[in-house]
Amino acid sequence: MNLSQHLPALIIVVPLFFAFVMPLLARWCKQWCVPTTLGAIIFSFGAAVKMTFQVMNTGPFSYYMGNWPPPWGIELSIDYLTVFAALTINGVGLLIIWYGSKDLLHELKSEVIGWYYTLYLLLMASMTGIVITNDIFNMFVFFEICAIASCGIISIKESRDCIEAAFKYLVLSVLGSGAFLLAIALLYMVTGHLNFTFMAEALPDAMVLYPKNLLVALGLLVVGLGVKAALFPLHAWLPDAHSSAPSPSSAVLSALVIKVYAVAMIRLLYLVFPRELLGMTPVMEMILWMATLAIIIGSMFAIVQDDIKKMLAYSSIAQIGYVFLGVGLMSESALVGGILHIFNHATMKSLLFLVAGAFIYGTGARKLSELKGIGHTMPIPTIAFCIGAFSMVGIPITSGFISKWYLALGALDVGRPFFTAVILISSLLNGIYYLPIVVNAFFSKPEEAVKEPKQLPRQMLVPLTLLSIGVIFFGIFPSLILGIVYRAAQLLLGL
Amino acid sequence: MSITEIVLRLHANSYYFFAILLFIIGFHTMLTHNNLIKKVIGMNIMDTAIFLLFVAIGYVRGGRSPILEPGVDHVFINPLPTALILTGIVVAVSVTAYALSLIIKLYKHYGTIDAEEIMRIRGGGSL
Amino acid sequence: MEDTIVRYVSRIILPFVQLYGLYVVLHGHLSPGGGFSGGTIIGASMILYALSFNLAAGSKKLSHDVSSILESTGALIFAGMGLISLLLGANFLANRIAGFPLGTPGNIFSSGSIVIITFGVGIKVASTMITLFFSLIEEEHSHEHH
Repeated sequence: MNLSQHLPALIIVVPLFFAFVMPLLARWCKQWCVPTTLGAIIFSFGAAVKMTFQVMNTGPFSYYMGNWPPPWGIELSIDYLTVFAALTINGVGLLIIWYGSKDLLHELKSEVIGWYYTLYLLLMASMTGIVITNDIFNMFVFFEICAIASCGIISIKESRDCIEAAFKYLVLSVLGSGAFLLAIALLYMVTGHLNFTFMAEALPDAMVLYPKNLLVALGLLVVGLGVKAALFPLHAWLPDAHSSAPSPSSAVLSALVIKVYAVAMIRLLYLVFPRELLGMTPVMEMILWMATLAIIIGSMFAIVQDDIKKMLAYSSIAQIGYVFLGVGLMSESALVGGILHIFNHATMKSLLFLVAGAFIYGTGARKLSELKGIGHTMPIPTIAFCIGAFSMVGIPITSGFISKWYLALGALDVGRPFFTAVILISSLLNGIYYLPIVVNAFFSKPEEAVKEPKQLPRQMLVPLTLLSIGVIFFGIFPSLILGIVYRAAQLLLGL
Repeated sequence: MSITEIVLRLHANSYYFFAILLFIIGFHTMLTHNNLIKKVIGMNIMDTAIFLLFVAIGYVRGGRSPILEPGVDHVFINPLPTALILTGIVVAVSVTAYALSLIIKLYKHYGTIDAEEIMRIRGGGSL
Repeated sequence: MEDTIVRYVSRIILPFVQLYGLYVVLHGHLSPGGGFSGGTIIGASMILYALSFNLAAGSKKLSHDVSSILESTGALIFAGMGLISLLLGANFLANRIAGFPLGTPGNIFSSGSIVIITFGVGIKVASTMITLFFSLIEEEHSHEHH
């Protein structure tokens, strides 16, 4: 048996396997929960790294579940985009749960912590599954696992707000998956396939015969995935869900979960639907305008928030707008910017949420007005927060600058400077709500609440430090990931 | 198109027609009822409608379930949508169970399962 | 719920329900049904028992420890069969290619790993149904005490 040959399956199966071992461990040997979880995710991360090298050296490849070749079996496809997303998910997910292993102790009741790891592993497995599967129904099943697991890591806290937020999220998620399943039905009706590659081959013919069918399917797909990715008018569930959850959950939900739906949308729109169909309808134009509204309105909502986590949640709505802006512009640079922003936003938003968690852990305060002067008493998290905030605003030498730069270039490439202006305005808006926090943290007198914070344990400090180093590092040396992102964009655009 | 033609087309596509009808009923229930359990019921009706539509795609008139018997030849229905929908049903069951357990928790915190009442107690926001 | 008729009738039909559930699970690869349908039948039989007798008796028959072990076991059987395929040198969840004997169609011991996987799914679904029922109903009870 050659292990490296089976990595595409194992990257999903190993976390899934240990997710089911976890309830047993939680019942009888609690101290093994954390090491097992970390081990499983480290394995997945290692597998993603290994596959990245494989893809960069020898090109995309696929894996047939149960040796059944498509169209009969489920195919896992490892190409530039999927491996990039898998790397992001497992890398950032690893740091978040490492931090969480300490933070959860004070946020959750001790008897449910084991279940948290089960849900977390399920979430990691399903997210990786969503991005690497090449079969639309398989994708739907992973969507549902992901939806239940992500509601689970919110409602596990059992406070009033969490339960409510989880219920709202669940209902809207189910609506989204319903729309997605309906779209699968309509696509299957006219193509007879569930595999992306085969569907893409059958669709140009089907488009001539059943254009209405496909248009409805396209609409349902965009709405279904839009609800789950919190694209602007469909974002109603996000602020409550992301702000009330335990901090590691907020971090993983904001940084990763909404992104995998964006990746799914990118793959479906670019790889499955024929370009002529997209030309026939203004769907890309609509995504573009929804993204623009998301960027502007999300930022405006964020300005008026006083709760730090709520502000970060609204900021996520704006940031997912950037990803979709890159999707909608359909130029190479813009798509590079959009895909790159998936990674960059994952690192900086998880960093910010984890810092917010650290502030709450240290001081118990979550109001921005109470957190003034925290730079004097909790210097390391505050510096990490500054780095994340600068990256959000898009100041050079941070990674946020790079993706915005490519998005702006892409908008100019297709001759629409209006969207470059949108990016500039949004940077300004981001500055309005992030920079005062930074200024207040260092230059005002410490408030009563933050005078004597609890010392942060090392498990929480190290992930924060690593993430902030990552934000700076990929801002100075973006070429490390740009190589794979460029190839992903070229593959998607068929260049 | 004359009325008879419309009726005949409806008859030929009756599965799809009723699936859409069920979907609308479910969606309407979900949107208009304040009772959270009724919302979950609406969600289930909606899911069922999608399942019906999906299974109807694979149905062949006069076909039977594809179980091979040596020496006998039949017209079979397409088993793939059926198998997929079985997965869909499993998912719907787990989502329903989870939603109901959340409702129980909500009831514990608020003493009611009426969405508007919960909103009022909470003061603002929406559910 | 102290109804003699319900108790008496359910005492008579319970073994048949469970046997039928087991039949559906084990014939998953031969006839309609399989792990999920059969598992639900078995789970429903336990729920019927708990409803017609009482909850305490129901949870005594299958304690939380046992049902959570069964839940994990069911899922692990599934994943384990997939991993065995890997060990045998084929892809994940491969059946004939990994060398599982297919047997003669129509026999219970045919179709290679599918019959074992179906059995795992049956265990998982049955125990999940029971766990779901008990956790929902216990939640309700603990609420009444408050």
